[in-house]
Amino acid sequence: MIVLIRRLQNFRKEHRTEGPGNRQSLAIRHCDAGSCNGCEHELNLLSSPYHDIQRFGLSLVSSPRHADILLVSGSVTSGMREPLLAAHSAMPEPKKVIALGNCAIGEGLLGNSELTGLGVSQLLPVDAAIPGCPPTPEKIVSAILSLAKKS
Amino acid sequence: MTDTFRNQVAELLNNDYTFGGLYATKLSGSVKAVFISPNGALKILECQVQSGEAPSIADLVPSNWDEREAHDLYQISFNGHSPLRPLVEHDPISDHWTVAVKGSDVYQIAVGPIHAGIIESGHFRFHVIGDRILFLDTQLFYKYRGLEIAAENKTLHEGKRYVERMCMGCSVANALAYVQACEEIIGYIPSAKLRILRTVLLELERLWNHLNDIAAICAGVGMSLGNQIFLVLSERIRRLNFSLTGHRYLSGTIDIGEIKPVLTADNIENIRSELESVRLRAKEAWRELIFNSSFAARLEGVGVVDTAQIRRLGAVGPAARAAGLKEDFRAHSTKLDYENFEAVIPENPKGDVRSRLEQRYLEFLQSTEIIFRLIRKTDILTDEETACEPKPLGIGITESARGRTLCIVEASEGRIERLHMRTGSYANWSAVAYAAVGNLLPDFPLINKSFELCYACSDR
Ligand code: SF4
Repeated sequence: MIVLIRRLQNFRKEHRTEGPGNRQSLAIRHCDAGSCNGCEHELNLLSSPYHDIQRFGLSLVSSPRHADILLVSGSVTSGMREPLLAAHSAMPEPKKVIALGNCAIGEGLLGNSELTGLGVSQLLPVDAAIPGCPPTPEKIVSAILSLAKKS
Repeated sequence: MTDTFRNQVAELLNNDYTFGGLYATKLSGSVKAVFISPNGALKILECQVQSGEAPSIADLVPSNWDEREAHDLYQISFNGHSPLRPLVEHDPISDHWTVAVKGSDVYQIAVGPIHAGIIESGHFRFHVIGDRILFLDTQLFYKYRGLEIAAENKTLHEGKRYVERMCMGCSVANALAYVQACEEIIGYIPSAKLRILRTVLLELERLWNHLNDIAAICAGVGMSLGNQIFLVLSERIRRLNFSLTGHRYLSGTIDIGEIKPVLTADNIENIRSELESVRLRAKEAWRELIFNSSFAARLEGVGVVDTAQIRRLGAVGPAARAAGLKEDFRAHSTKLDYENFEAVIPENPKGDVRSRLEQRYLEFLQSTEIIFRLIRKTDILTDEETACEPKPLGIGITESARGRTLCIVEASEGRIERLHMRTGSYANWSAVAYAAVGNLLPDFPLINKSFELCYACSDR
């Protein structure tokens, strides 16, 4: 175990990038509204040693009640419409919505359709969009940070 | 009519065929069931739907979900399948889709569709007493995107985009099953070189998935160190994928009859050295993990699905092999390059979380060996392709990281009439529900992660 812990510490040191320090914090709630699971695979890496988003004051929280940002992936299917709106209305003000990936933006392979799903902006006000299929973890982190700086 | 179909099914089962999937088609107004022989040969049985009815075979083979799906999407009633619960459709009255579990102190816990972590959407209804799970009803298909229907009338080339949109975690396995089906339709046999390339891509997909699954199981017991180490290794494979193909999940690398220049001399050296290094690190971390007794104590005897249940439920892939079932479609993949392939299983397969974890590790090692063998071969082969008789119906089967994935394409004049995809995840969800029974509720996330199924692949 000790060998592994040491390895991990070294890894962290080698991959440390400059961050703004922990003077700010943002709580993010993710909602899969009909993705292909690609956006989730990338999101899951945000807390891996390569990115370690907590050092930026960002955290992925388990309830929309605790969240500042709703991060939506996938084109919104008819089955996920209600749950998505419920999650959004459960969030305290002020709140922001980010569309993660081409599908959520409504520019996915299949576009905007009743059958295969709608872009998030058809249902909720979208404050930022992160294009990509899927967007890389690096892109996700920097997009969230720049939204944080703006507001 | 009814009896002949059921008799035909029974006869195939007597000859050791396994059930591969069942689907309905609007055009021919029939239900078709696919069966696989012990040596990988395929057989399709067809039964005409008469006044909206067809005989159920759910008592003979694991076609429970298939029949419910055909009922919801094609309005076919299956005689003998009762109650025929909704699957894709969501009935707001929970008695219509849950199994009644009654008794003093029994209550239900509803979880999802939105879960507490970064997880795909789906709903679970636990029937519990205290912390003990008595039964689990799953309600998936929140992410149903109608991709099979949307692909109808598209050309075979366009259809691939719909298949790729089904699931990123299994993008190679799904696209490959689809492309193999299409190549049967157009009468194309891939060259030796293309077979090697496709096999390498399929194994790279397995590598990042399996490393990711090991990380997920570690996370499931709060073993953050193991989680972080294996996430790093999985990420290294994704970066390797990107350097080889320009896509971290290898999306867009598989095309009908097309070879992409992925295995150049430089690339081959990169693959070899990166895989050797990842393998070394994984071995080192694995040793630390399995000798950690408090880690092992959380895994052993949890979420057991034994061989008999695996067969009854029709589970496939690492989950089936971890229960001791030596079945892996790679052994029959004649359109890929799996020379002398033999499925690996743990020394003591118990069908619990521990065995499923070990299964991933063993397959990870095996996949690296397969890639090492293949990249040594590439320069000596020609890319001579051959042709065969075109057919109106093509079937492709691949072994994805989650199990046997079957794709059926029916086409006429180059356009899709029916596309059906039955992935390893689809086949395994019933096993997850079964595995939860009798276990503690707090162990469910762990059990779920030990299968690590895609919702996207099942819902489509
Ligand atoms: S943007 Fe791409 S990766 Fe994300 S859900 Fe859509 S298809 Fe999947």
